[in-house]
Amino acid sequence: MSLPRSDYDPRRVCLNPFPDFNFNLGKHRRTIGIYLAGALFALANWTFLDAAILSAHAHAPPGDVEIPPPVHVAFVDWVPGICSLLGMLIINLIDKDRIRGDDYGDSSAVWRARLFLFIGFAFMAGGLAGSVSLLVLKYIMKDYAEQYTYYGYANVSQNVALMLSAVVLWIAQNAQTEYDYSLTL
Amino acid sequence: MPAGLKTVILLSFVLAVGFLLIILSCALWANWLPLLVALTFVLAPLPNALFAHCGGDDFSSHDSSGPVDLGRFLTSIVVVTGFALPVVLTHSEVVRPGACVMSIIGGALVYGTILAYSAVFRQDDEYD
Repeated sequence: MSLPRSDYDPRRVCLNPFPDFNFNLGKHRRTIGIYLAGALFALANWTFLDAAILSAHAHAPPGDVEIPPPVHVAFVDWVPGICSLLGMLIINLIDKDRIRGDDYGDSSAVWRARLFLFIGFAFMAGGLAGSVSLLVLKYIMKDYAEQYTYYGYANVSQNVALMLSAVVLWIAQNAQTEYDYSLTL
Repeated sequence: MPAGLKTVILLSFVLAVGFLLIILSCALWANWLPLLVALTFVLAPLPNALFAHCGGDDFSSHDSSGPVDLGRFLTSIVVVTGFALPVVLTHSEVVRPGACVMSIIGGALVYGTILAYSAVFRQDDEYD
């Protein structure tokens, strides 16, 4: 009978474990992380909404001839953000204990949880990649003025901030509380 | 008790100043969109208040349940929305910069009043 290696934990997700984030925030670490994630989430969406509202209200500077702006924020611009949102939703709907396999459940449940985690992260990465390609294809290739490429940059920063928000939320919710420490010790 | 009374009077004064600033920021330029900021900041403590009692089973009592986390997440979103809304409106030249600054200060005063009120007059049965 072969025993598993002592440093091998069959319940973990990644080959290399996530780095242990030990900030000196004490027992409020989880709370602060969640507030930070919410702030990042709102900031992300407001960055994009800013571009959308700006595009809807775009006009020439006063005293200038009124030319219709060459480009607007259309539905295509919303798609990467929606992908990122879906990915974030999927990631956060997964039971964290299920991934760690804490309930000693069957291995297929753990497998399914990891599959959905992968799908969620794929959605987020897809949203980010989509926003970058949108920036390049729709705004940079056409040589618009700075005023209009801002829409593309806002889109990219929205998706980056959404991903950061998901990561911060994940780390905050996986942070060990005092209670967990007292159990492991 | 006189200390609590003084606090109440001070807080209500600050609240009135906050609402005054917001309403002034709307009325001076006859553009009533910044009033949304007041609404946002009044609604900001609502998610925390709603979800605060969903957690807290007997032994993992402090902050480790999903609903409490959701409440905090929503609160944070609403607070950032309150600050971002006037900035976005100013950026697209819907409201004037002056109205933006006044409504942000007023909203911060209103939200600070709500926070201070709930911190000062916390119910004593929350023993953490």
